Amino acid sequence: MTESFAGIVADPYHWPFDGAWSAADTAMLLLGFQAGPVEALSAETEAACALKVAKVAGRRGIALIASRRGTSCRVSPTDGLQWRADACPAPGSPDWQLVASLAALPLAGIIDHPGDNAFFATPLEQILRSRGIRNLLFAGLPTDGLLHATQRTANDMGFECLAIADGCKGTTTERHFGQLRITTFGNGLFGAVASSGAVLGALGAEDRSSETFKETPDDA
Amino acid sequence: MTAFWPSTEPVAPARAALVIIDMQIDFCAPGGWVDQLGEDVSNTRSVIPAIAEALDIARAAGMSVFHTREGHRSDLSDLPANKRWRTRMHGLGIGDQGATGRILVRGEPGWQIVPELEPLPGEPVIDKPGKSTFHATDFEQVLRLRRITHLVIAGVTSDCCVQSTFRDAAERGFASVVLEDCTAAVESRNHDATMDILKAYGGRWGRVARLADFAVAAGGPHD
Repeated sequence: MTESFAGIVADPYHWPFDGAWSAADTAMLLLGFQAGPVEALSAETEAACALKVAKVAGRRGIALIASRRGTSCRVSPTDGLQWRADACPAPGSPDWQLVASLAALPLAGIIDHPGDNAFFATPLEQILRSRGIRNLLFAGLPTDGLLHATQRTANDMGFECLAIADGCKGTTTERHFGQLRITTFGNGLFGAVASSGAVLGALGAEDRSSETFKETPDDA
Repeated sequence: MTAFWPSTEPVAPARAALVIIDMQIDFCAPGGWVDQLGEDVSNTRSVIPAIAEALDIARAAGMSVFHTREGHRSDLSDLPANKRWRTRMHGLGIGDQGATGRILVRGEPGWQIVPELEPLPGEPVIDKPGKSTFHATDFEQVLRLRRITHLVIAGVTSDCCVQSTFRDAAERGFASVVLEDCTAAVESRNHDATMDILKAYGGRWGRVARLADFAVAAGGPHD
């Protein structure tokens, strides 16, 4: 019998919704912590925060899955429409590589995806289902890109999702908080949001903290 | 004209589709679910006239028109446990009996599209169990079979199902435009945040435009 972890103090509810999460049914997704995006967003602090949680989660037996976005154009299979290139590293380039500290983690897998959504055109869902995963912890870059796109889809699929607020960074501060506020709207339309301290506390790490993410405490 | 689409124009009007998201009684009419929860439906209602105009424009131009409805099977077998729990925390959850029938259950009165925007015969209606129109539906297959390459997205809510559908359309290579004055959220600040995110970098997933831009683009010449 796998040990159940303590519930996480999160916004807008104690996560997970049914109180049941363990190493057997939980994975942590580390999305887009690649050298180029981390540098472009100056997200060294957020990457370090995600790494800190991932190390503890990994030690507690939670599967760690990293993702890399890697293509510079988008082509429609129907008629060859080509999207403008955006700031997306070319596969194999230095900017495309996972940051070294994350790459050194005992990863259960690495997902390569062409767009923001790590589920689209990848085996991510199959990997999660085959492992019996029901709960997902999210960290990644940017909040309004990979992180939220992937969490939206996971939520539609029925996964119970938690975004780690200080383990992700937006393309602007406003977009970061705006996207997290949309996540928690309506009693958690797309899941819940917590601080890394709250997650570490629930995992029994030493720097236990009941601090929670709360951008606007007056929220209905 | 060219500024309306995020890429090349559609090769024919029917290769572009207007997609009206979830303009259902439960989301945007007095007596519907959101109204029964005591929340304000004035935002979601306010875009009905603009969407009616968008429908007129699309139909007159010979574009394809799709409608969507969020809803679940009557036995709730397609309703994730956390989604049911979350909505029940409001006091009236998906599948519960409300004043307009069972909330967001297919076939119930509250689940219907508002009469002002009733689909015409022949216009596909996509029934979706999630936020994204692409999730667990035949939407993509119908689009591909009809060789549709371009989408114009309107409806409710901007921060939720409109944003999910727009993002997922971009993943799949559809050239998409959201009409910002034909979409709304229950809370204005979430609508504003969504528009800021969708407009970033000149439209990372497509373009954000207005009804007037759509009228010009749809009325213009098609090669």
